[in-house]
Amino acid sequence: MLPNELISRSPLRILEKSTHGGVGKGNIGVISARKGVGKTACLVHIATDQLFQDKHIIHVSFAADTSHIMTWYEEVYQEIARLYKLEDDNIHDKLTKNRVIMNFKQDSASVPKVLKGIRAMVKDAQFGADIVIVDGYDFEKSTPEEFSIFKEMAEEMNIEIWFSATVHRDDTNIDEHGVAKSISRFKDNLAIMIQLEPRENYIHLHLIKDHDVYPAADNLHLKLDPHSLLIMNES
Amino acid sequence: MAYDITKMRNIGISAHIDSGKTTLTERILFYTNKIHAIHEVKGKDGVGATMDSMELERERGITIASAATNVSWKDHPINVIDTPGHVDFTIEVERALRVLDGAVLVLCSVGGVQSQSITVDRQLKRYNVPRLAFINKCDRSGANPFRVTDQLIEKLGHNAVMVQIPIGLEDKLAGVVDLITMKGIYFEGSNGEIIREDEIPSDLLDEATSRREMLLDALSMHSDELAESYLEGTETVEQVQSALRKATLSLDVTPVFMGSAYKNRGVQLLLDGVVNYLPDPSQIETNALDVSNNEAPVKIKHQPDAPAIALAFKLEESQYGQLTYIRIYQGTVKKGSELTNSRSGKRFKVGRLIRMHADSMEDITEAYAGDIVALFGIDCASGDTFTENGLNYTMTTMYVPEPVISLAISPVDKKSSDNMSKALNRFSKEDPTFRSFVDPESNETIIKGMGELHLDVYIERMRREYKVDLETGMPQVAYRETVSTEARFDYTHKKQSGGAGQYGRVAGILEPNAESDYEFVDNIKGGVIPNEYIPSCDKGFKACLTKGKVIGFPIVGIKVSIDDGTFHPVDSSDVAFQMAAIGGFWQAFEKAKPQILEPIMKVSVEGPSEFQGNILGSINQRRGIIISTSEEANFTRVEAEVPLSEMFGYSTVLRSLTQGKAEFTMEFLKYSKVPTNVAEQLKKEHLEKDKKTETKKK
Repeated sequence: MLPNELISRSPLRILEKSTHGGVGKGNIGVISARKGVGKTACLVHIATDQLFQDKHIIHVSFAADTSHIMTWYEEVYQEIARLYKLEDDNIHDKLTKNRVIMNFKQDSASVPKVLKGIRAMVKDAQFGADIVIVDGYDFEKSTPEEFSIFKEMAEEMNIEIWFSATVHRDDTNIDEHGVAKSISRFKDNLAIMIQLEPRENYIHLHLIKDHDVYPAADNLHLKLDPHSLLIMNES
Repeated sequence: MAYDITKMRNIGISAHIDSGKTTLTERILFYTNKIHAIHEVKGKDGVGATMDSMELERERGITIASAATNVSWKDHPINVIDTPGHVDFTIEVERALRVLDGAVLVLCSVGGVQSQSITVDRQLKRYNVPRLAFINKCDRSGANPFRVTDQLIEKLGHNAVMVQIPIGLEDKLAGVVDLITMKGIYFEGSNGEIIREDEIPSDLLDEATSRREMLLDALSMHSDELAESYLEGTETVEQVQSALRKATLSLDVTPVFMGSAYKNRGVQLLLDGVVNYLPDPSQIETNALDVSNNEAPVKIKHQPDAPAIALAFKLEESQYGQLTYIRIYQGTVKKGSELTNSRSGKRFKVGRLIRMHADSMEDITEAYAGDIVALFGIDCASGDTFTENGLNYTMTTMYVPEPVISLAISPVDKKSSDNMSKALNRFSKEDPTFRSFVDPESNETIIKGMGELHLDVYIERMRREYKVDLETGMPQVAYRETVSTEARFDYTHKKQSGGAGQYGRVAGILEPNAESDYEFVDNIKGGVIPNEYIPSCDKGFKACLTKGKVIGFPIVGIKVSIDDGTFHPVDSSDVAFQMAAIGGFWQAFEKAKPQILEPIMKVSVEGPSEFQGNILGSINQRRGIIISTSEEANFTRVEAEVPLSEMFGYSTVLRSLTQGKAEFTMEFLKYSKVPTNVAEQLKKEHLEKDKKTETKKK
């Protein structure tokens, strides 16, 4: 299959359709879930889908080392290549070229430090990022004021930012729509909010906020397939 | 001394230039009774540490600079391993770091943590080497061990804790307070050899108490037993020492010692520290690689009765012949026993087994797991592994990458020429990634290696160690050529100019091949090319591979299949089919869209985060692809893939961009297609070079 066909057939087009064009430049999206449900898999699939469209991605992580994240990308790519019968080796090279992983140590990384790093990557390394993925940002320790700096950067640099947010298992502090307050208190700066909800055989992608609509109608009909760890149609 | 692996120590002394490494080593040898008088380092101002020791060696005939010197302190045999002075990442440095189990990081109490200390420390960190810090030169004006300890924490990210504080500083340095025993320690006698214990001077008591608390707080994090006793106020010296040992071994804590080697203060306590807090060989987890099982890692058993495994980590030319230093990882090496070199498969008998002391060598009959000894007259290369009982293990990977850079060198006179061949011979033995040969076209000596720095180190060594006066050319990248699409060829070689004629026709396909550099497939049916001439075709194609038609570099990654041809019963011959194959190859090569491949290096740059922008910019300017960045304790590491041709002179650029505070390493990663604009430039340069050669010939 040709990459163009792959892009148009991707279930992520459904996400864009249902959310009136997706997150959009200058905006922020978030995928929240409990630990180990599949936030990183979703983000890596979203990023890979954009890489197929020639977009440039900065992936910010707070892992022990960068190889862990690279393995994620490698596996998601292999799954897509297998699923869509991609054969061109050059595509893989191109994808790697348009992707940078920036890893920070969780305890020593401050928001200004992360932003400084991203700016240096865009300005000094002339890496024209379209999308920034921030995986592992600690929403619990953050404040809406601190978080608003990300929104400012997204607008100023005309980029789209995707976050993952961990909701603790015993977090019972929820708002009137059943969303953990540790996440919903940031909603003013979030264009899209998706919650991953484990169902019997798969993980359901629950759309919680669609730009100005909160709570949004749960009409994504997308799932995270537990075998391939790819986002797929729910039917 | 009876063998007890838990008493052995293999340590390196790492230091930046001028922090007093030579004086410290000298004092260690003196206090361990290996030398009998202290001589000062001559001309120490403005002369590097390496030079100091070499001069010392010449003057006094001692081998301080030998690869490993055996000393003994309080019934503990200690091998002091020489860590190479140059800090570039070469196989040699890597090997020296591999064989040591612990290190003493020497710092100057005035200069503190300098950029070179950072480099040295990061190399030790890379190999997970537990270390002690020794703050030397506390007698110097401006000495401040407290500030240096803070720098260890801030700049190197160590969890550095003082185990001593100085009694007096600068010219009043009298001794140290031991924070574990809470005693004042003074060094008396003409060479500081008499140690006197006393009460802590009253004016230092508060400082000592608060520093001891800091030490115990830090250690309590890593020992529940100590934490409990500490809370109750019942901690013992043994408990503190055992917690400190544990935390040092796990690299959680770096104990800080101090003194002045020159004024004979504190060295003996540092030796106690080596014995008390650095690991014995059995505490280091080491893996060998099983050659028969795809180099799968196998855990080493640090036992003298297991089959022997030893690594040759350094070759040295001595007046009695070649000395091979080995680290025994497992088993026992005996005089007269038979070992196998797992690289060459050759078996040899251990002739003389030597232990090196500072001023003598001692013949021994056997040496056991954990020890470092030397063998005489063994034909091997540095990095070889010796094993016993048919063990097919190796301590270093057998995979040797192809050199990616070359340089023409020419000696200026006959003497240099002779010494140069000696040096080249030795280097190629020491380092499998270093090669040399004489180019038949230009008659120049070419050296090949893995990068600019790699070759620079050897050129410098030829100049310094072998007194070779030489001129060097510009470094050349080892490009390759390949094809990007398949193309057919059909070529007839016909020659009839009196006498026997030549005839052969070969047809087939030339195509890209990702699997190997060259593959030949014989699809001839019905004997249109007789069997006896098939190898001739193969030979003809192979002949083309050495020099491509795009810019004259070797051709790789191709497959040639022959499927048709014609022969003549009289005029066909081996030569005729070789010629036909060569003709056919070039016919198809032109059509198969030939391309230039260049070596891409995996580059890793590390430096303070304040220079992150500069580092990223410098990679970007070099056609580099940034793969990842990672930040830890104000240090940023950038991993990138950069074409080798763009990396020339990078060390100078990086130094000026980061005030000398960043370092980089690079290794060959892969060959990749050259972008069109660069390819055009290379073709142009090749044409010009060709024209020049033509004019010369005329």
